[in-house]
Amino acid sequence: MEDRFERVTNLVTFLLSRAQGATFAEILEELPGYPEGEDARRRAFERDKRVLRDEGVPLVEDDGRYRIPPEEYYLPDLDLTEEEQVALRLAVAAVPVGGEPAGLALHKLTLGSAGSLGLEESVPVVAALDERPVLPVLFDAAQQRALVRFRYGEGGEVREVEPSLLFFRDGNWYVSGHDRARGAPRNFRVDRIDGDVTVFEAGGFERRTLTTEQAMPRQPWLLGEAEPEIAVVEVDAVLAAKAVSDAGARATVESRADGSVVITMPVTNRDAFRSWVLGMLDHATVVGDDALRAYVVDWLRSFG
Amino acid sequence: MRGRPRADLGTRLRRVLVMVPWLLEEGGSTVADVARRFDMSEDEVWRDLTLLMCCGLPPYGGGDLIDVIVDDDGTIEALPGPFFERPMRLTSVEGFAVLAAGRALQGVAADAGAGAAGAALASALEKLETALGASGTLAVDLEAPRFLAEVRAAAEAGERVRVAYYSAWRDELSERVVEPLTVHSREGRWYVEAVDVTSRGEPRRLRVDRIRSLERTGERFERPASPPAPPEQLFSPGALGVEVVLVLPPSARWVVEAFDVEEAEELEGGRLRVRLVTAGERWLERLLLRAGPQAIVESPAELRGVGAGAAGRVLARYR
Repeated sequence: MEDRFERVTNLVTFLLSRAQGATFAEILEELPGYPEGEDARRRAFERDKRVLRDEGVPLVEDDGRYRIPPEEYYLPDLDLTEEEQVALRLAVAAVPVGGEPAGLALHKLTLGSAGSLGLEESVPVVAALDERPVLPVLFDAAQQRALVRFRYGEGGEVREVEPSLLFFRDGNWYVSGHDRARGAPRNFRVDRIDGDVTVFEAGGFERRTLTTEQAMPRQPWLLGEAEPEIAVVEVDAVLAAKAVSDAGARATVESRADGSVVITMPVTNRDAFRSWVLGMLDHATVVGDDALRAYVVDWLRSFG
Repeated sequence: MRGRPRADLGTRLRRVLVMVPWLLEEGGSTVADVARRFDMSEDEVWRDLTLLMCCGLPPYGGGDLIDVIVDDDGTIEALPGPFFERPMRLTSVEGFAVLAAGRALQGVAADAGAGAAGAALASALEKLETALGASGTLAVDLEAPRFLAEVRAAAEAGERVRVAYYSAWRDELSERVVEPLTVHSREGRWYVEAVDVTSRGEPRRLRVDRIRSLERTGERFERPASPPAPPEQLFSPGALGVEVVLVLPPSARWVVEAFDVEEAEELEGGRLRVRLVTAGERWLERLLLRAGPQAIVESPAELRGVGAGAAGRVLARYR
């Protein structure tokens, strides 16, 4: 174990300092610690390579030569100001996401800001996100523009997705991207991904720039190209605050003395609007515009 | 000191590749300080640094070694050398952790975002994203619930509060006086473990975003010596809900995407038979009203009329 620790550390320093790289034979000649016997040496070297790659060391293998290009290995200088370094430390303390990886990342990013240790202890935790090992894999794939394949949902159906955006909303992580089989953009809940994610070659597609609002609109009744209709919805006090928050900035709200509200809002997708209103059960009524009101009433009547 | 599992080779390498640049930057440190910063035992620091002193470049002579020297008294001296003067790039796990934390804090502290601290965080995250080549690939959509700060303050001060609370389970708003004990967040949502004074002191868990109004009472309560710890699991539908089997028309296949379905079976004509655990009758009503009249409850028999019943109740508002 101690031998291996020295050996892999020496392997990093050796390959990092040799611009032309080294063959397996040259490595064996220069580096102590490899066992006797061709097979044993090869196995030991394969294990060392795996450790380096698992730890994110950019080991390049090219025509039998191994290199660690310094420009790929070293963190570029991010030129973070003292305030920016403090802001990152506070963020990691306030939202504990990654445990040890987050701590090491901070060390890498804030080298030299020696005085700030202990700062974090006084910071209250403000949010906890669901953590899943597959998240960094998907994050990396989106950065690399690498196609991913995974089993999804109850049926374990295999999906191939070009990931554009990883986002968290309402307690869940989603990966949003182009679903190759369906030929359309889709959102996938990360907790429904069954098993491992296979990541294909980098640069496999053009990444679309997406906001969470585009990927999953908070107001789906505004999706669609139709001429906007104006809906007027009466909501009881019990759900008034939530309905107002759902309706968003394009709605106008009239509050009544009993705590109920009347929300006036544009609608371009009737189905999504109906879904939203019916989600409030008998606490909401569509008033005003006859067509929209009739649309909801007809639907309810069809339950017979 | 709490015992820790022996670090594996990968963990040791990972730490060393961060620790050496840090030591070089600082010019030195002490074993105790390194142990504290990198969450290691002092023995581990001794062991790893002692071995590192022998690492470097062939032929491993004086000028070719990593110049970190540990003295017997635990003082560490570090001199710049030909490598490790800067840390390794962030791994995807590390980059993800810092970016997600930063984006989440931006969300919950949106009100403070306009200040100098908010601006520093925004520019730091932008630099980080650019360096990672990750611009626009990660977003966290979080908001702090309206009464979070008040609930926290009351829990810390040991003050009873009067709240109007919406229970989605019962679909009703009730007013109650509670003693907030522990405030915690899980998967982006905030909860408070409280004693419900209105219900004869029963323990109660409230979702902070469902508190519709909050009033301080000025009444103090005695905080328990050990307030309840956040629960391991928040909600186990099996313990509370009812299992139903539904047959869904093709237009309601979204149900499988939107909810945790236990089992789904393809039927003729694009229909689906699904088995799922409901979170109560109101929850099932919402699902059925959205799925439409062709969505049928197969079992249990006593829930077959739920959709039509709910539709009738809502229709009554339109008369």
